[in-house]
Formats: sequence, C-alpha cells, structure tokens
Amino acid sequence: MKRFTRLLIELVVLLAIYLFGCQLAMWLAWPIPGGVVGLGLLLMAFASGLVKPAALQLGAGVLMAEMLLFFIPALMSLLDYGGLLRNEGWRILLVIGLSTLAVMLVTAFTVELVCRWRLRHEA
Amino acid sequence: MKLELMPVFWLALTLGTYIFSRWIYRRTGRYLLSPLILVPVLLLAVAVPMNTAYAEYSADTHWLMLVLGPVTVAFAVPIWQQRRLLARYWSALLLGMVAGSVASIATSFGLAKALALDSSVTMSLVPRSITTPFAMPVSSDLGGVPELTAVFVMFTGVFGAMLGGVLLKWLPLRTPLARGALFGVGAHGAGVSRAHEVGGEEGSVAGLVMVLTGLLNLFAAPLLAALL
Repeated sequence: MKRFTRLLIELVVLLAIYLFGCQLAMWLAWPIPGGVVGLGLLLMAFASGLVKPAALQLGAGVLMAEMLLFFIPALMSLLDYGGLLRNEGWRILLVIGLSTLAVMLVTAFTVELVCRWRLRHEA
Repeated sequence: MKLELMPVFWLALTLGTYIFSRWIYRRTGRYLLSPLILVPVLLLAVAVPMNTAYAEYSADTHWLMLVLGPVTVAFAVPIWQQRRLLARYWSALLLGMVAGSVASIATSFGLAKALALDSSVTMSLVPRSITTPFAMPVSSDLGGVPELTAVFVMFTGVFGAMLGGVLLKWLPLRTPLARGALFGVGAHGAGVSRAHEVGGEEGSVAGLVMVLTGLLNLFAAPLLAALL
C-alpha cells in the first residue's frame, strides 16, 4: 500500500511537470511539445541537485514500462486504414523492412568505427 | 449492438487485453504473444466484426494517449542515470544517431517515393524509426498522420527487434556500444527490451540512444519539413 501511494505521488509530480512544460511552451510561444520542455526542466532539476532521480524512479519506471498501453489507441486507427493496408500494405512493409535494415547497419557500423578509431588513438 | 451502449466498453477491453497479454507474455516469453502484437490483434478481432470506426473506439480511450506527455518527461531519468556513459562516448553515440537518423529518413522517404506511396503515407513513414511519443509530433510537423505513424512505428519495432537479433549474429560488432545503438536507433522500445536480453550495457546504451534520437529528430523536424 505504501508503494502504491508513493507511485501515485510520483505520477502526479510527473504529470504536473508535464502540464507546467505545456504552459511554459505556450507562454514563450516555443514550438516544442510540453513533454520535451518538462523533460528539459527535470534534467535541470537533477543537475542542480534540487530533485534526486531516485525520488521519481518508481513513477518514471512504471510509465516507461507500460508505455505501450498509452499508444494502443493510436494503433487502432488501423480500423480506418484497412483499405489503405489492403492496397498499399506490401509496399509499406517493404519500405519499413528495407529502411530498418539500412538504419541498423549504418548506426552500428558508425558507432563501431568511431569506437575503434578512438581506441587506437587513445592508446 | 448492445455492447456498444456501454460507455467504457472499449476502455475496459483495452485495459483487459493489455493486462492479459502482459501476463501471458511473462509466463511464456513467446515474442508473438508480446503485448505489442497480441493486444492490437485481439482488439481488432473484436472491433472489425462489429464494424467499429476508429472515432468510436477512440471516444473512450483517447485520453490514454495524453499520458505520452508525462512519459516524455519520465525519459529524463534514464538520460540522467546514463550521463557518464554519454559524457564518455558522446562522439560515437552522436555520430551513430545522426547517421542512423539520416539513413532512416532518406531511405523511408526515397523508398516510399520510388514505390509511389501517397504523400501523407510517405510523411507518416519518415519518423517511423523513433519512439512513439516523439514520432507522433514529428509526423504532424511533416504533414503526416500521427496515428498512422504510430502504426508504422509498431511494425518497425516488431520487425526491428527480430532483425536486430539476426544482425548481431552476422555483424563483426565488438563493442556493446554499437550493439546497443543498433537496437536503440533502429527499433526504439521493442529494440531496447531486446537489447536488455543481449546484455546490461547494450540495454542501457539502447535506452539512452532511443530517447536522444527521438529528441534529435524532434528538433530537426522543422528543418526536415522545409527540406522534404
């Protein structure tokens, strides 16, 4: 029960930071989503020592672990796009498949090469 | 249909299938039963025969998506916890994220054009490699359909987590950094959980890189909108 109360408080705090981020973005007319402003604010709070990451770790962990639940509603837009998938589905899947392969190869080799280069030059 | 008269029917069904599928995935560990696949399949299996429209479904579940805002805020915790990793390897990670993002955007856009997909589908495909809370706003900046992007992001995650496992067997990657970045940039959340199975360091790198790549793309979105 204690854990549950704690979780609830942490979630409310994260929600409050998000809403404050939205307000701030609106006041300053920044074209950045409120969540990202909130993320920046929270990082600054960690850096200044104002907030300890451990104080929000439970709530943040639960939100990230259950993230899928929050975008299931968007996935159900498939209900309206059935026709699109029947007509263009294989082309869309081909794009996703080839592009994912390209991204993984490029990312992994870039990071690997930079790491090896640094190892050789630092030694 | 009588069921549809119940105002919270779709919300209850969504939560129910989610909890059920998470439980069954934990017990069996079968990837095909993971919530990422099983939940949409089960919900569609109920909604399609009932001729439900998306508007009808989202009427009682729409608010769930608002939680993606606080999820974005929560991403500050892994960034902060991995700050030493970031300070030490920022050059390799940054170059990897930029190169991977450019590859993602260029190949998604180029292939979609080559296959003559229409413009809103093409723009919805462009941010498909990044995590959903970032991909949806990027998609709307580019003139895509955020919901459609969420669908493409899911396909990317399902396919990418499998492909990444195969690639690790074939590619001569000696550093955990490269193995983690492959999953974090290529397959977002689904890739991060797969990376954790490969190793602790791979998992941390993947989680960090997933969030930072999302931020990078979000900040690049106005530029991208002007270019594409």
